[in-house]
Amino acid sequence: MKNILKFDNVTHIYHTVRGEVVAAKNLTFSVDEGEFVAIIGPSGCGKTTLLSLAAGLLSPSGGTIERRGSYGYMLQKDELFPWRTIEKNIFLPLEIRKQNTPEARARALALAEKYGLGDFLKSYPSQLSGGMRQRAALIRTLATDPDVLLLDEPFSALDYQTRLNVCEDVANIIRSEKKTALLITHDISEAISLADRVLVLTARPARVSHAHVLDFGNIPPLKRREQPTFSGWFEELWRELNA
Amino acid sequence: MKNIACSKEHALFLKKRKQNLAVVWALRLGILGLLLGMWELVTALGWIDPFIMSSPSRIGSTIASLYRDGTLFYHIGVTLWETLAGFAIAVALGFAVALLLWWSDTVRKVLEPYIVVINALPKIALGPLIIVWFGTGSEAIVFMTVLVGIIVAIMHVLSAFIGTDENKILLMRSMGANKWQILFKLVLPSSYPSVISMLKINVGMAWIGSIMGEYIVSRAGLGYLIVYGGQVFKLDLVMSATFILCVLAAGMYFLVVLLEKVLVKNTQR
Repeated sequence: MKNILKFDNVTHIYHTVRGEVVAAKNLTFSVDEGEFVAIIGPSGCGKTTLLSLAAGLLSPSGGTIERRGSYGYMLQKDELFPWRTIEKNIFLPLEIRKQNTPEARARALALAEKYGLGDFLKSYPSQLSGGMRQRAALIRTLATDPDVLLLDEPFSALDYQTRLNVCEDVANIIRSEKKTALLITHDISEAISLADRVLVLTARPARVSHAHVLDFGNIPPLKRREQPTFSGWFEELWRELNA
Repeated sequence: MKNIACSKEHALFLKKRKQNLAVVWALRLGILGLLLGMWELVTALGWIDPFIMSSPSRIGSTIASLYRDGTLFYHIGVTLWETLAGFAIAVALGFAVALLLWWSDTVRKVLEPYIVVINALPKIALGPLIIVWFGTGSEAIVFMTVLVGIIVAIMHVLSAFIGTDENKILLMRSMGANKWQILFKLVLPSSYPSVISMLKINVGMAWIGSIMGEYIVSRAGLGYLIVYGGQVFKLDLVMSATFILCVLAAGMYFLVVLLEKVLVKNTQR
């Protein structure tokens, strides 16, 4: 397997009037093609900075970041534009990248149909439930067929039940579309139920303190929560997170 | 509202709503009728001198005589033109300046104190300067109208532009959007409601500006009629011009509301 994203000794410093903040120091990790990697860390450890670096929106103050392929970014909230229909929201990245061709639109629409948004294409976001909206946001991210998905706590704004369901859906969609994914979350069980590999970050400046390969294989999220080893992983990660 | 078969309770609810609306309208018109009626009555009975207070019937006959002179629509036309021109220029220029200030943080920081000071300045203080610069024609009045409206337009639109959701901007940047795309696909559409409310506020501002302008310098228009009427103690004329102003201002406001309905119809915010 080849690395599709590689952080090598990355340091990132923020400058504010009050001084400088070292958000990340000597941060090294990589993500393989087709892998689902989850990163957990204490709150305020610079998770969003890390994703912005991975997305190429920020350049690191030190070290190197190797990125291959194209990237799609999914945020905490769906951020669907309320004045656009679901269909038009899904076409947004196509318009921006000037790829708004009939074929690309047809591909995006086929994805939407396949994952249950077919009846809502002409609806406005306000007419959809939170879970459906987040699903539409995922289809929008997938519209340009990115190689890597960057997920910034994409379920944290949902209520618990919806959250479990959408998590299940998203895992399913990402696996069946064979995407590489980098998830950042503070929710330990979400990380265990989704990822192939979990990295634990330290508090600021962020650095990888532990890395684990999970042994669940292709078991979907809800089933993983029923596995006997689930609670063992949870305890271990909890301990490491609070170390 | 969908026209599906509804339950009895729902039909009752709709009926009540309709009745409520009818009551509100009846009261609105009732109050107007009562006020006008009392006004007419107390002046007709001589309890109050109609020379000072005027009366609805005297306002009616004043307007009718203005109409017969052929000067009614002339004065209305002059003021309306000045107001609309000032409104359009203030809105267009204000929008453009707000865009510029949004585009460049540096320009915004540099110009901020100027805008604050111009906003705080009572525009009427510039009256003498305006007369010297623009003469005594309509240009001076249009300039005054623009002056009164433009700062409000700039500040209102700019705060909407700047208030654009940071996360949505981040999302667009992650898609590789440039500043133009962010402007046209996100900032402008999300500022729609604020732009409409700016238009509503500026309708009022434009009338303030044009009438104020006509007070300072004018040879025609409703503001001129009011000033002239006051000077020669023709209070019927003052009241008539004020009444026409009310009607025009309300009409312009409702046009903006109508525009809002048409524009925001499909956006389902």
